[in-house]
Amino acid sequence: MTDLLSLAQSVVQQAKAPGVEVEAIITHDVETQIKVSRGEVEQLSQSSSRGLGVRVIDGGRTGYAYTSDFSDEGIARTWRAARELAKVATADKYRGLPDASPISDEDLEIWDKRLPSVPTTEKIELLKRVERAAFDYDPRIILAEFCTYGDAVNHVYLANSRGFAQQYGRTTAYSYLMGIARGDDGGMVNAFGSGASNFFADLDPDAIGREAGEKAISILGGKPVETQTTTIVLDHAVGAEILSALALALSADDWQRKRSFLLDRLGQQVGSDMVTLMDNGRLKRGLASAPFDGEGVPTSATRLIDEGVLQNLMYDTYSARKDNKASSGNAQRAGHRSLPSLGPTNFYMQPGHQTRDEIIAGVKRGLYVVSVMQTGGIDPITGDCSMGANGLWIENGKITGPVGGVTIGTTLNDFLQNISEVGSDLRFIPLFGAIGVPTLRVDNVTIGGTK
Amino acid sequence: MLEKSLAQKVLAEALRTGADLAEIYVEDVESLQLGIDDSRLETAMRGEDRGAGVRVFFGNLVTYAFTDSLDENSLMEAARAAAAAGRGTQQQAKTIDLTERKSQLEYPIRKPFDTLSIEDKVQLLSRMDEAARAYSPQIVQVTANYQQLRRQMWLFNSDGVQVEDDRFYTEVRAGVVAKRNGTLQRVREGFGGRVGLELLDDNDALAKVKNMCERAVQMLDARPCPAGEMTVVMCNGWGGVLFHEACGHQMEADFITKGSSAYAGKIGERVANPIITAIDDGTIPGRRGSLKFDDDGTPAQRTVLIEEGILKEYMWDLVEARRVGRDGSTGNGRRESYRHMPMPRMTNTFIDQGSHTPEEIIESVKRGVYIRDMAGGQADIAKGDFVFNATVAYLIEDGKLTAPLRGATIFGNGPQVLQEIDMVGNDLALDPGMGMCGKIQMARVSVGQPTIRIPRVTVGGTDDASASN
Repeated sequence: MTDLLSLAQSVVQQAKAPGVEVEAIITHDVETQIKVSRGEVEQLSQSSSRGLGVRVIDGGRTGYAYTSDFSDEGIARTWRAARELAKVATADKYRGLPDASPISDEDLEIWDKRLPSVPTTEKIELLKRVERAAFDYDPRIILAEFCTYGDAVNHVYLANSRGFAQQYGRTTAYSYLMGIARGDDGGMVNAFGSGASNFFADLDPDAIGREAGEKAISILGGKPVETQTTTIVLDHAVGAEILSALALALSADDWQRKRSFLLDRLGQQVGSDMVTLMDNGRLKRGLASAPFDGEGVPTSATRLIDEGVLQNLMYDTYSARKDNKASSGNAQRAGHRSLPSLGPTNFYMQPGHQTRDEIIAGVKRGLYVVSVMQTGGIDPITGDCSMGANGLWIENGKITGPVGGVTIGTTLNDFLQNISEVGSDLRFIPLFGAIGVPTLRVDNVTIGGTK
Repeated sequence: MLEKSLAQKVLAEALRTGADLAEIYVEDVESLQLGIDDSRLETAMRGEDRGAGVRVFFGNLVTYAFTDSLDENSLMEAARAAAAAGRGTQQQAKTIDLTERKSQLEYPIRKPFDTLSIEDKVQLLSRMDEAARAYSPQIVQVTANYQQLRRQMWLFNSDGVQVEDDRFYTEVRAGVVAKRNGTLQRVREGFGGRVGLELLDDNDALAKVKNMCERAVQMLDARPCPAGEMTVVMCNGWGGVLFHEACGHQMEADFITKGSSAYAGKIGERVANPIITAIDDGTIPGRRGSLKFDDDGTPAQRTVLIEEGILKEYMWDLVEARRVGRDGSTGNGRRESYRHMPMPRMTNTFIDQGSHTPEEIIESVKRGVYIRDMAGGQADIAKGDFVFNATVAYLIEDGKLTAPLRGATIFGNGPQVLQEIDMVGNDLALDPGMGMCGKIQMARVSVGQPTIRIPRVTVGGTDDASASN
């Protein structure tokens, strides 16, 4: 497929002009998605698609256009549109393409050479096992919704007018489902189970199905507790929701636009000394790992918060030029249909020493939060953080029963300061990108329930 | 876009392994996005996206393959890939008699996208940015975005259906951040619809931006929202997102046929206070959720979901209608793009007009929360629990709006709240037209309602002291 890299280079050659910088990205994706319901395949989708995106920077003014039409005419129309659009943009002296850097050939272990040839029947079998594991967990699991297996073989070809021309391939396989449990009183609850890896063989169908079953059963019949301020213990999936908002607050671009609750606190203690936050685009077998980022800068590992002290931010080329720093390789792209934008790669909290059960055993009185619902309830700008929660009540280190219909409220600031235990069980949650978090204990959180 | 003879050939290929229905969905999308951030025009982007998907039905098994090129080879290859799952016998090759159906619905565009230059569109965004910054020095950040989108679809199926729907959407969004000392408040809003550039004549973008700034600055004085159970009054228009999330999704047929919805098997039963009538209407002129035909090729329609408290109908797509042997769907089959299979989705969904004035509703509350604006919400399907985060909310004390509140979240159970809503206003409105609904796939929707009162619901906040007094 090196001809697609040549094509990207050729687009750059066609579109460039004196004073005009050009970058071309070509993506080629082969994807499979399967859904089963009650042991039967319900949906099977297979596809192969390509796209081209052209970014033009003309005197600091950026224009962008994309297409899936690879005819000579389609390609010319696309780069011409990008050139035209650049004319209406505002000139910004910090806009520009990065210089071509050498890309290390270190094996990031993101390519499963077996995946492209795994037969569909094997994928279907795996998915049926996922569903069965949820049902087998407990007879009160009555349904599995969205029971899905998917995989993707993605190729990225990137070239620019500063001489960069590189490509990489990445494979991903994932599966998820929502287990639905019904109690004796007819009340129903649901919970997700999921797994994702660069390698097909790493998916554990039994664990994925069991997670959905176990979580749904655990919160069945939950009732609100009284409104109070207490300790909470957060499951991975819950911690990941909060971390994804923190990732936004640690983007240099958002700082430069004054959109972060952490603004101007570099070098300060912003969290408890148990908090170390990393972004690492070179993590072995990382779901978001890649040799270079969305604009051709080598990826890197960045220590953002070290034992509670805010040390670094994530940078792309644009924000780095503004702060006179080097890009940390955090320009992200959602395929060929978007401009690069600053975002996390594999973003995670460094694990501690206790297991989840040890953390729960250390809580005198509080809530183990199994699942949350939130949309826009965690605001990286104001730091407000409020979610609906289901979970298990803890009394003297023991789980006493399910809790539902409550809210948990804190601020991101208090959240970071009040983390009093970090588990040893780091896990990356695929539903929210590659956000990794261990079980966390947080004190002084408001639980909203009955009076 | 696709010759009838080629469509017939591709459908015949897709049927070869014994399928009972085959379909080709062709799409051509063109978009322009412009965005100002930090007073600079930073986003200037054009996109085109064209492709086709072949869908094949074998009883309850549905297979799909899509391609981004529309030449015969690619389409035939997609048809073969989708047909590959069939184990049935080869069907007798037959000519599929495609007959183009015309819609009775019209969504005329008064001002096509090209009646304003790109520079004019940029100018509008600049004026919005300037208006916001001129409002107050406390407005520290402004974003303004413009998007135009043309999404043309053609659909052919082996039952002889041939339809097309040429959809134009225009939308404008803005966001402002107000700052005083260490406190930040953000307000985001937009307006749009299945319309052309007449949108910009029909809406005063600058007045809207000033109004947003006013609310953001006012919210700087907001105090933490009290936590606990209390009475909540939700504003008209966008407030309808509560019904959409907490009840509407549960009336989508995929959750009904599987039995995961609280409304499964409840047709004819009382599911709401008799003052509630709720409707999904995909035929309202100019709205984001409006269609001529849905993405299964079914004509859009108006469906009464709840009539005076009684559950009347669900929202069906073709797959779910076929599953239960229903005669056709309700025109709710929608897909994000040719890369996706349709699923049951809402169009424009709202609670119908009631009898109280909004003032009467607020005056009836001794102590509670008035929710003026929400960031959106989420609901869990099985249980019907929902959570909404209010971005602009006020305390109600003795029938009057008093202090602005920050960090307000309401949390409850959709089906239960629907039974409990005890006042419905006479000020029905649909939202301004920026609703985007995510259910694995994204879809443009509208929501709406009059002002409503929920007598008791859990409000989450960070102030647990005031709840206990």
